[in-house]
Amino acid sequence: MHRNASTRFAQNFQFAHGRFLRPAALALLCLLAISVSASQELRVAAAADLQFAMKDLAASYEAKTKQVVTIIYGSSGNFFTQIQNGAPFDLFFSADISYPQKLIDAGLAERPTLYSYAFGRLVLWAPPDSHLNLAVKGLSALLDPQITKIAIANPEHAPYGKAAVAALQKAGLYDQVKSKFVFGENISQTAQFVQSGSAQIGLIALSLAISPAMQNGERWLVPADLHPLLEQAVVLISASKNNAAAASFLDFVKSAESKTILAKYGFTTAQISAGETKP
Amino acid sequence: MNLQALLLSVRLALTVALLLLVLAMPLAYWLAFTKWRGKFLLESIVALPLVLPPTVLGFYALILFGSRGTIGKLWQSLFGHPLAFTFTGLVLASLLYSLPFAVQPLITSFESLDRRLLDASSTLGASPGRTFLRIILPLSWPGLVSAFVLSFAHTLGEFGVVLMVGGNLPGITRTVSIDIYDRVQAMDYSGAHRMALLLLVISFAVLAAVYSITRRVWSPWPAR
Amino acid sequence: MLSIDIEKQYHSQGSSSFQLQIKEEFSPGFTVLFGPSGAGKSTILDCIAGLQTPDAGRITLGDEQLYDAGRKVVVPPQSRKIAYVFQSLALFPHLSVAENVGYGISASSGAERRAIIQSASQAFHIADLSGRNPRQLSGGQQQRVALARSLATDPRVLLLDEPLTGLDAHFRETILQDLRAWNASKRIPILYVTHNREEVDAIGERVVALSQGLVIAAGNPRAVLDAPRAMALAQAAGFENLLTTRVANLRPADGVMDVVLLPSNKHLEVPLGTGQVENPIRVAIRAGDILLATEMPRSISARNILPGKVESMETCGTLVVLQVNAGAHFVVHVTPAAVRELSLAAGAAVWLVVKTHSCHVLAD
Repeated sequence: MHRNASTRFAQNFQFAHGRFLRPAALALLCLLAISVSASQELRVAAAADLQFAMKDLAASYEAKTKQVVTIIYGSSGNFFTQIQNGAPFDLFFSADISYPQKLIDAGLAERPTLYSYAFGRLVLWAPPDSHLNLAVKGLSALLDPQITKIAIANPEHAPYGKAAVAALQKAGLYDQVKSKFVFGENISQTAQFVQSGSAQIGLIALSLAISPAMQNGERWLVPADLHPLLEQAVVLISASKNNAAAASFLDFVKSAESKTILAKYGFTTAQISAGETKP
Repeated sequence: MNLQALLLSVRLALTVALLLLVLAMPLAYWLAFTKWRGKFLLESIVALPLVLPPTVLGFYALILFGSRGTIGKLWQSLFGHPLAFTFTGLVLASLLYSLPFAVQPLITSFESLDRRLLDASSTLGASPGRTFLRIILPLSWPGLVSAFVLSFAHTLGEFGVVLMVGGNLPGITRTVSIDIYDRVQAMDYSGAHRMALLLLVISFAVLAAVYSITRRVWSPWPAR
Repeated sequence: MLSIDIEKQYHSQGSSSFQLQIKEEFSPGFTVLFGPSGAGKSTILDCIAGLQTPDAGRITLGDEQLYDAGRKVVVPPQSRKIAYVFQSLALFPHLSVAENVGYGISASSGAERRAIIQSASQAFHIADLSGRNPRQLSGGQQQRVALARSLATDPRVLLLDEPLTGLDAHFRETILQDLRAWNASKRIPILYVTHNREEVDAIGERVVALSQGLVIAAGNPRAVLDAPRAMALAQAAGFENLLTTRVANLRPADGVMDVVLLPSNKHLEVPLGTGQVENPIRVAIRAGDILLATEMPRSISARNILPGKVESMETCGTLVVLQVNAGAHFVVHVTPAAVRELSLAAGAAVWLVVKTHSCHVLAD
């Protein structure tokens, strides 16, 4: 009787569960298959202002070495948090040097590899037909009544956002315009807000403003002395499993060819003297 | 056209939907049939992901599954890398995120069963396990379908959780929704449009296929 | 031999709560549990089957303890080998007739299993319905499938909860015949719950009458039901009308007597009782035995035609309950279709039609 019951149970189990066992097993297989990740690729966490510049750098490097470079763009502050929690990046290009420095202090990045690759610049940008006359008015164009939304990067964690707030405060315009802010999660999203017309004007990175997608707009370079330096730096993450490839890419970034590419996107590799307004 | 991201999203949604069917069933069974007075506590916990913003869930997932979190550290000692920023990490976070979408339809199905059918099964000698497999499950078919479809759809559309705990790694955690987001930020609008449209078409096709199958299955409710 | 001695608090009609107390022994053969709804009959069956647990007591089958509160023994329903046919039948709608009948069979080989299904199906004349789905069957066929399914498991006790309601007398009789034939060889206790008097008469073995959780009479059907003695039992047997009357005239030649309805002095012809003229006597009539007419009926066999007025109407499920004043307060049951066709409403003038033998004389 007992054996009959268990046989019957097994039959019924198979009958009813047949519907579920096979798909579930398939699911598990899929799960396992994905866990095997490609460790030959080099994973680079890049600040959003490198959106176009890094693509060129990586393409050039890949052509030379056949090494696949995978780039993930985002906000420097977010990358910092993710790396603290074990995000598997090999290199971290930050728009603000303080983040890599904090990682080094926390023992998560290699001090000898810290390299300041550029200084970022903040620009005021508006779409081509805005007629806001930025060249003449500069920051005070923000007070124009037709402006209802001003895009800046989130100052909580994005370096360009912090710089934008600092510049506006120093120019004495912050309190008048702060109610019109819309915050981009990173400087790329900020640029996209203005480019798409969701905001009428924005404070974005020079590297994005002169990119093909945005170079037709009106722009005005914010004087460097209005905000703290946007010193950008790259560092090797200690937990990286690709030290050789990472070091090789870093060397490439320091090369003259890279400097040319970076300069093309408005990244200056030396400090700017005050008073310079033309990009 | 990023097929990799698309395949990843579909694989994630499918994995989660199937796993949830299996995991949500005992939970739904217990919640449907127990008379425990503290039932409302468990019901509230299960329903939490419905009201929590995805970023809250993603945040806690990041903290817990990351290299500094309890679960992440355990995982690291077992597998050599943290649980966050992996497909498995996404699956686990998504299981929590979509749990109520699987549990609720199942509970509704189980509760609307004629109890006398279960009694009949018992008096005819079937153990609770056999009653579950031969009577409850087949008669709860609409609930199972709903649970699958809802958790599949919900996971497919996930963004906040994936963003927080995924790390946007191509081929591993860069789902379609993240990819579309990336393209918009890179101002590649045509690329974003192509991906979004494809996702829409695929989602619609899956739903249509599932609902057409359901139509052909008879209605399980007793005549009397 | 099934013996039970249990107590259980149960709820009937939603709010009211009763204490069920029953101590009975059931030998092989039919025992009818008779009583109105709410008497606790289904609760007793549930406890015997193990679907509900009593508050206290013991249930024993042969020498096996199925339930013992003192020694904390509770055998689960799937291990009791007690078959139960519910009022709703609970046929599995996603399985065919053959699969339903075979559900509880614990045979080791497929051939043996098929043989048992076949013999049970043949015993209840449903062998030709094997492939069909239960919902495609008529009421009578469904009852048979439910019976075949329960009996295919070779149970030690069979519990039937109002299994034949809604069937007409012919089908009822054939099913009962099949059941009796089946039990002739098996000889197990069969507990048959009903509130319908005709079924009690049809089965004709032992009757246990229940009201509000207590056994008020037990024994031979004639003894228990034909001459209801206690008011409680009269109500239990479903008489909604209990009229106070006075004997006016005895007509032994016709086997009837005339009584006067108090206080209106209207006359009723009822079966001959043992009272004398001027004796007060109570007459019980079922609401379902009273016919209603909106025109005075002519050339009709019924002996009692009482003019009256509808005081109120209320729909209860599939019935409409009318309160009618026809010299005394009457409760009458009609169908909703009748209400529509006769345009019945409160205030309507009606005639109540009652056969002599629908009036039951109570001796108390």
